[in-house]
Order: sequence, then structure tokens, then C-alpha cells
Amino acid sequence: MRNTDQSSGLFWLVVGIGIAISSLKYGFGTLHEPGPGFITFFAGAILIILSFALFLSSFKNREDRSNLQSLWAGLDPGKVLYVIVLLVTYTLLLKPIGFLISTFFLLSLLFRIKGTYRLKTVFFMSLLVTIGSYIIFEIWLKAQLPKGVLGF
Amino acid sequence: MDIFHHIFFGLGVALQPVNLLFCFTGVLIGTLVGVLPGLGPVAAISLLLPATFRASPVASIIMLSGIYYGAMYGGSTTSILVNIPGEAASVVTCFDGYQMARKGRAGPALGIAAFASFIAGTLAVVGLAFMAPPLAAMALKFGPPEYFSLMVLGLTVLTFLAGGSMLKSLMMACFGVVIGNVGLDLITARPRFTFGLDILLDGVGLVPVVMGLFGISEVLLNVEEKLSQREILKTKFKGLLPNLQDWKESIWPILRGSGLGFFLGILPGGGAVISSFVSYGMEKKLSKHPEEFGKGAIAGVAGPEAANNSATAGAFIPLLTLGLPSNAVMAILLGALMIYNMPPGPRLITSHPNLFWGVISSMYIGNLMLLVLNLPLIGVWVKILKVPYPVLFPLILLFCLIGAYSLNNNPAEIGLMLLFGVLGYLMKKLKYDGAPLVLAMVLGPLMDNSLRQSLLMSGGSGTIFFTRPICLVILGVVALILLLPVLPLISRLRKTVEKTEEN
Repeated sequence: MRNTDQSSGLFWLVVGIGIAISSLKYGFGTLHEPGPGFITFFAGAILIILSFALFLSSFKNREDRSNLQSLWAGLDPGKVLYVIVLLVTYTLLLKPIGFLISTFFLLSLLFRIKGTYRLKTVFFMSLLVTIGSYIIFEIWLKAQLPKGVLGF
Repeated sequence: MDIFHHIFFGLGVALQPVNLLFCFTGVLIGTLVGVLPGLGPVAAISLLLPATFRASPVASIIMLSGIYYGAMYGGSTTSILVNIPGEAASVVTCFDGYQMARKGRAGPALGIAAFASFIAGTLAVVGLAFMAPPLAAMALKFGPPEYFSLMVLGLTVLTFLAGGSMLKSLMMACFGVVIGNVGLDLITARPRFTFGLDILLDGVGLVPVVMGLFGISEVLLNVEEKLSQREILKTKFKGLLPNLQDWKESIWPILRGSGLGFFLGILPGGGAVISSFVSYGMEKKLSKHPEEFGKGAIAGVAGPEAANNSATAGAFIPLLTLGLPSNAVMAILLGALMIYNMPPGPRLITSHPNLFWGVISSMYIGNLMLLVLNLPLIGVWVKILKVPYPVLFPLILLFCLIGAYSLNNNPAEIGLMLLFGVLGYLMKKLKYDGAPLVLAMVLGPLMDNSLRQSLLMSGGSGTIFFTRPICLVILGVVALILLLPVLPLISRLRKTVEKTEEN
């Protein structure tokens, strides 16, 4: 791909086609009696036209030589991936092992991502925030956070 | 006068101890959110929305509104002291505010920002009280075709005003309409785009989407940055009160900014952001010393700060009178009002006067609280600014996680939020604006409904949109806006022709 607009234009083109085809399946209806897929079909169709226009116009912009890799130049995308994996794992484990344990471990790992704190400090901060948030959300706001293995 | 009777009634509601407490909490959180870069009012309001469900609707809306205009106040503090705008609407304040701080005038800069915000907020609230009722009365005459046209206008203006490519913003608006229509179709009860997932049957929740697009994505962007130390100016804040000369230079910019912000705020799309930029440009043009702008001109702080505050009040007009949100924050408030079974629209003023006048009056009280909060507490906000990001971002993530989970006590909501977080992260990288998506998502089901009703009314003829005068005018404006980006081309062509003729 020559530049980022071409890549994203193609992506949205595929999304638009998917939306338009699915909408037809849900039922376009008639103008007298529009069906469930009526408005989403038009949204999909317009998305197809616009993304195609973006794709074409990106060829005109010859100065823009930014490709997808250049978006992460000088940055640390590994950390982003690591945070996402942590958050997904947290989501999956939240119910089975409960709020207190999973949050403590999540925070311990998150505090270390950008900070250069000692392990002791990290554990102390994590414990403090976990208990603090438990008091605010579970006890005061009655948010019914998952109890998990601890039972509270 | 009837209007004063209503305002006094509203003050009675807003001054109830519970509502005062919620108003105070709202402006306090708002200022905090404004001070802290990386968590905007949109994410903060959606985060706190589930927590307000147990309070009365009036108290909740008072608090959520407080966060919105409070953030505009707080945003200026970081702009002036650190040269980092806490809010998009405070970007302009950096230009002259930071320069003033470097010259040792951080105090008057912060002071005039707070006073300008207060004066503008107050004037705008009065404007809101006067303008909303007649507009609502007019809106009662609107039918489904007019509403549909208005929504199309809203989305078009938003994509036009939103930063970056209009093409990309329009694409996001289309995608937003589809996201808004996920779930059971209201008329046929058939599921749309649910992919067999139960969680999607009720539709995609606004809160996980907004927290993902505006909260999680921002954290992800910051996590990959190499650490940069924020430099806070070590100025002592002696004399926050601007002197007489400062006032002389600021009073007209404040008044002009207030009017400008209010009217631009009514228009859909980033009212506060746009109005602050327009105000800065206008003041520079009107100034006797335009060369001082960018080097610490107090008018360059006063005007934009007034404009972004009155724009927040202006933004309430389309929501409270027509039921149409003009930006992402208003879209969340619309969602909140729907949850409380108080659909905003022309009948809101008469059916729930305590909500309408109570919220308006609370904004006035809130502005007073902000003035008290901001001037003596500057030192506290500066201390908060010093919280290092490695400590801050896990907290932001935790609040988002708890906020999403507590919506339905379902981890799937967190999954949805993370999905939109990653989408938002990529969108920001590729320069797609999230605001049109959120607004279109809220308007999506309303548009679907009004379009289908309009077609049923006309017996399947699309001409209904062109035969009703109000529709015709609105859609005419839409066409004009869509053609506007092409206009500079026309003007350039004209110039070339003129030059050739001269030669």
C-alpha cells in the first residue's frame, strides 16, 4: 500500500459492502413500507461510495508517502499490545476469580509498564487503589462487582 | 415577566441541598477532568452515567452538565501552566496564556480565564433561558420529515466543522448510523447486525462505545509514547486578580467571545473548539496591537475562554428544544434523559419544567462555584498536574473497566468497550474523527424511525422532503454545506481568470 488512506479506504470499502449485503438480507422493504435493513443499506451504500472516493483521492496525494508502518515510527507499539492483552485477560478472569484479586494483579502489571517503581511500591499502590475502588464502587455506590473465589 | 418567574422556579430547584451537592460534585469532577490531560469530559460523563442512575433525574443531569462546563474551566489551567491543553477547546489558550505565564503573569492569565469563563457562562445561561422556550414552541410544528432533515443537517454540519477530512467524517457518520441501528428492529422485531450475540439484541450501548473511543484509545496512544517530562512553571501565584489595564483589554473580547460562542455552540459539531479558534482570530484582527498575539496578549486568553464556555451553554439549546444533540457530550445526555424516560424535545419544557429550569439555573450556580473553586484552589490543581502518567493511566483504565462492567454487571460490556478502544486508537492514528460516529450512533435509530414514518406519510414518495417548505430550506442548507469544500476551488479558478484577463 502506498499510503495510509489507501489502506483505510479499502478497509471501509469492505465494511460498507458487508453492511449493504447484510442489510439486503434483513429486508430492504419498499418505499411504501421500508424494511429493517432500509436505512442501514443506504448508510452502507454511502460508505462504499465515500471510501472508494477516499481510496481514489489518495492516489492524487503523491506527497503523502506515509505507510502503515510509519504510524508507529519511534513509538513502542509492543506496550499497546501488552496493555490490550492484559485488559482482555482481565475481562475473561473478572467473573471467575473476582474483582479484588484480578484488579490487584492488573494494577500491579499496569503500574510497571511506564514506571520505574520498586516492586514494593507497586504492590503497595495496587493494594491501595484496589481497596479504595472497592470501597467507592462496591460499598458506597453498590455496583455489585464480581465476588469470585474470595466470596466478597 | 414570565421568564423571570421560571428562572426563580429553577433556582428553587437548583438550590435544593441534594441538587447543590450534585452540582458541586459535577463541577469539581469537571475541573479535575479538564486539568488532567488524557481524560476528556466525554469519557468522564459516560463513566459516571451508570453511577448516577440511583439519583433523581434532575440531580443527575445537573451533575453531568457540571462536568461538561467544569472541564472547560479546568482545561485552561493546564494550557497556561504546562502548555498542554487539558481539553481540545483550550488549545487556543496555550498560545497567549503560556506566554503570559513565562513572563511571570500566570496569575492574571489564570484569573482572567476564570473570570471570562464566569461572565460568558452567565450571559449564555441567560441567553439559553430566553431563547429555548420560543424555539421549543416552534419545534412543536415539526413532523417526521422535518426532524429527519434536521438530523441530516446536524450530521452534515458536524462533519463539516469537525477537524480533518470531511470525507472521513462523513464515513464515520455512516458507520455510526449502522452501529446505532444494531439490535432488534422496533417495527418488525427482527435482529440486525447482532451476529447471534445476546448482548447486541438491545443494541450497542453508548457508554462502552464512548469510553472506548475517547478513554481507552487515548490511554493506548499515550502508552506507546516515550516518556516526556511535563514542565510546570514554578511561578508563585501572587495576585490572581487581573489589574485595571488587564480588564480594559479583556472586557470587549469577553463580551464578543460570549456572543460568538453562544451562537456557534448551537450549531452541531465541536462548538466550543471552533468558537475558541474563531474568537482568537477575531480578536487578533480587531486588536490595535495584533503583533502581541502569541506573545502573551491577555485578550488572546479572555476571548477564547469566554467563547468556549458560552458555547457549552449554547449546545444545550438544540438538545433541550429539539431533542437533537449537537456534540458527543450532548449525545450522552440525550441517552441519559432517555433512560430516565424524559425524552428531550419541544415538550420537555412544559412536561418537566423542574428538569429544564432546574438544570439551567444550576448552570448559573455552577459557574459561581467554579469561580470560587478555580481561583483559590489553583495550587491544588497544580499539584494534581504533577501526578505522573505511569500512575495516572492505570487509574483511568480501572475507572473505565468498572464503569463498563457496572452498566449491566456483564464483562461482555468491557469487551465491547475494548473493541471500540482499539478502533478509536486506530482511528486516531489514521486521522478519523470519533465525534461524528458517536453523534450518528445516537441519531441512527431516530433517523430510521423518522425516515420510515415520513415515507409512510407520503405513501412511499421521497418528494415529501422537497415539498414541505421547512424541509426544503434545511436540505438546501445541507446541499450548500456539502458543496462548500468545492467553493475554494471555484474562487481560485476565478482569481486565475482575473489574472489572465489583467495580463
